[in-house]
Amino acid sequence: MDKTARKLLAIATLLLFQFPVFNILNAQGILGGHVTGNVQFDGQFSRRDTTIGSSDVPEKLLSNARADILYTNGNFSAGLRYEAYLAPMLGFNSQYTGQGIANYFVSYKTQTFAVTAGHFYEQFGNGMTLRAYEDRYLGLDNAIRGINVSYRPWNGVTFKGLVGQQRYYWDTRGLVRGLDAEVSLNDVVTSWAESKTRLTLGGSFVSKYEGDETILSDISGYKLNLPHNVGAASVRMDLSHGGFGLQAEYARKGQDPNIMNNYIYKNGDALWLSASYSQKGLSANLQAKRVDNMGFKSVRSVSGEMLYINYTPAITKQHTYAFLSMYPYATQSTGEMGLQADFMYKFKKETALGGKYGTDIHLNASLITGLDTTVIGGKGTDGYTSTFFGTGDTYYGDVSLEVAKKLSSKLKLTATYGYMLFNPVIEGHEGDIHHNHILVADLTWKINRKNVLRFEAEWMGSDSKYDAAVDDKRCGDWIMGLVEYNFTSAWFVSVSDQYAYNDGIGNYYNISVGYTKNATRLQLGYGKQREGIICIGGVCRQVPASNGLTFSLTTSF
Amino acid sequence: MKKLILSIAIMLLCSTAMAQNAKLPSNVTIKSLDGKTVETSIIQNDGKPIIISFWATWCKPCNRELNAIAEVYEEWQSETGVKLVAVSIDDTKSASKVKPHVEGNGWEYEVYLDQNQDFKRAMNVVNVPHTFLINGEGEIVWQHTSYVDGSEEELFELVKKVANGEEL
Repeated sequence: MDKTARKLLAIATLLLFQFPVFNILNAQGILGGHVTGNVQFDGQFSRRDTTIGSSDVPEKLLSNARADILYTNGNFSAGLRYEAYLAPMLGFNSQYTGQGIANYFVSYKTQTFAVTAGHFYEQFGNGMTLRAYEDRYLGLDNAIRGINVSYRPWNGVTFKGLVGQQRYYWDTRGLVRGLDAEVSLNDVVTSWAESKTRLTLGGSFVSKYEGDETILSDISGYKLNLPHNVGAASVRMDLSHGGFGLQAEYARKGQDPNIMNNYIYKNGDALWLSASYSQKGLSANLQAKRVDNMGFKSVRSVSGEMLYINYTPAITKQHTYAFLSMYPYATQSTGEMGLQADFMYKFKKETALGGKYGTDIHLNASLITGLDTTVIGGKGTDGYTSTFFGTGDTYYGDVSLEVAKKLSSKLKLTATYGYMLFNPVIEGHEGDIHHNHILVADLTWKINRKNVLRFEAEWMGSDSKYDAAVDDKRCGDWIMGLVEYNFTSAWFVSVSDQYAYNDGIGNYYNISVGYTKNATRLQLGYGKQREGIICIGGVCRQVPASNGLTFSLTTSF
Repeated sequence: MKKLILSIAIMLLCSTAMAQNAKLPSNVTIKSLDGKTVETSIIQNDGKPIIISFWATWCKPCNRELNAIAEVYEEWQSETGVKLVAVSIDDTKSASKVKPHVEGNGWEYEVYLDQNQDFKRAMNVVNVPHTFLINGEGEIVWQHTSYVDGSEEELFELVKKVANGEEL
């Protein structure tokens, strides 16, 4: 096509859009429906700094960008996501380098039936047999590309079925098949419809297929006879009666020699229990779990965080203050036991402890240990035996007490004390257990309707000392200060510094400026940042380690 | 040719975007606090405005926002008939703590769980808190991410306008 023809065609197209015909089509929903989406861009000009693990970057600018475009029209929806990692940010696997359409799907959904073709996310129960999910800030995406169907023949009964392959950076790997059924008995048994007691039961079965490969056993040097199909199944319940609740799930997995369990043939299992009581202004929750050899991946020989089919939840509290979240705990899928307790109470207004505005307290405690195991062999054997109630090494424990109190109509204080112990063995290196005491004071001063100041002071005392051989930069005693100024909900500036004043190394200073309008948010930062969850300027997000200038833009439309 | 495709794409996008406000999706699956699977069509308020707030138990600004609104919620309701629907994006790590958290805080909101984050994706929520305002026709007329102490007052000004049928 020559230039003139192209121009003419362009003009003709533009004119066509002005025609009433097009508008009618649009209004009738033929071309109608809605386009929505979100865009995110994160960039950093990185400077080398060995103290936080950021290295020399030849590209100078590291960036992650993505855009989701979603089209919905009645029961139909379709979406695609473009991702560009043209030098991925620190903390992201270099295998992400590249760009392209990382996710696409079409979906049709009615009240009783739904089908998705393409990439989808799904979770059966608590995810102990299957959980395909995404955490964009951690660079985690276990999306399944295939077909996902759900069918609700009667109110209260749901069946799900899926088949597909899992995302592996820019590739898809493995083969996963899954079925799930859930029955809400109160909806099925008519006489129970109005009962105060509610019971939901569910079960799932998931299997993966893989071809053969050569893995040699430790002793004889024989090639292992690897199972090609590996299944995992679970049963679950959710029972509630007024303020009482009891949830449980038990999962088992067949022989699944893989790189995470060092190619042993032991069956895996996991049990999770949660009991709670709550009424207005008071709640208590107790959770327990036991996980034994339950890492389930669609490709047996791939280590790392990708290609997990299942998910065994960490039950420990997700802390968000910097020092409390310095040692986040992740489930050891090879084996662990855990207990977690949570208690919340609201002292009412105009009482002795409540004062004029009331006082909230939140108490939390957890303890995670390894299993009590006896080794019986290496690769190609059952590996080890374990007792059900026995415990092994202590991995992690924490106790925290948070008191939140409105002091006046303008001042609000949250004070927290935390005690934490952490065994470096769960991050793969030997060493003494770290014991940390942490204090946090978080004060918000609402000067007037448009101006709000927030101060945060934190202290951490630790018996750990920085050791260059291990290079754990969280060791030692730390102090931190943060001041944040908000002008309406639109602007914020924050300045913070974390400093190791004893037995540690590191000085993390940061200044950030942000602007938010509706669902668009722009943030600029300069300084040194530790990776972790950061809550400033009114939102919480996970950030990677950085040194230098960072900027981020998110918008939804 | 590229220019042409681009211009068509832009025209299509603009014309659909301008046609009307996007509606609140009605067929996304979420769970109620007592474990019942429901569709988002359950989010109704008899032609009065609805605030939908995406939050998580671990998100401090979300909790500050929901606590601040809880103090004035009765007034907001009697003045405008508004309803707040709090959608928790807590995943399997903390989903079982949502009900105790809501009760412990004494919130009177309608609360749903979005464990698989289907609703979050359908609404293009990136970070929490993310708040939407829905008018009587079920259209999304405003959205905002982040919470700063006092910004609930800005939100209430908008709620009053929507309750009176004014354009934002």
